[in-house]
Amino acid sequence: MTGPAHIAALVCETAGTAVVVASALAALAMRRAYNRLHFLTPVTSLGAPLIAVALVLENGWGLTAGLDILIVLLLALSAPALGAATARVLAQRAGLIDEDSPS
Amino acid sequence: MNAWLIGALALLAGAFAPAALLTARGEPTDRLIGLEIGGVVVVLFLLLLIQGLGQPSYLIVPLVTVLVSFAGTLVFTRLLAPTADER
Repeated sequence: MTGPAHIAALVCETAGTAVVVASALAALAMRRAYNRLHFLTPVTSLGAPLIAVALVLENGWGLTAGLDILIVLLLALSAPALGAATARVLAQRAGLIDEDSPS
Repeated sequence: MNAWLIGALALLAGAFAPAALLTARGEPTDRLIGLEIGGVVVVLFLLLLIQGLGQPSYLIVPLVTVLVSFAGTLVFTRLLAPTADER
């Protein structure tokens, strides 16, 4: 496939891949776990949607694009829940909150 | 070799490798964060790989991976929570 849509797809794919790689390397550089946890968000809130846009531009509307969007949507929804659960465990292990406190 | 396979290779080398390194060292909770980032990167890697190979029928694999890694990571957070006598 060629044309402007293909070029736009490659631009979005490159940008999305760059965001994901930069976030993973930044997470590696962080010392504290709480800081590291923040770098999951750019991956699922910016990198993944950019890659999804690239795939939709490349494939056009259809079942493949629909599955790509569904997968990235599930990523974007599950990551905050995982982040919150992990932060809660970090706080519990540090003794900042009790295990049975709801907040 | 097309742009999608190059992107997949970049994700594998530039993002999955740091996530695997995070998973391999440090406190259990630090490793858990590496596991989460690695899980997300694997899904994106699979999306690009499938696009590069031109095999959309394989999209079921990242779809299942998203759901299973979400549940698996939650099990880890439950197991890593301190028990009453540990506090």
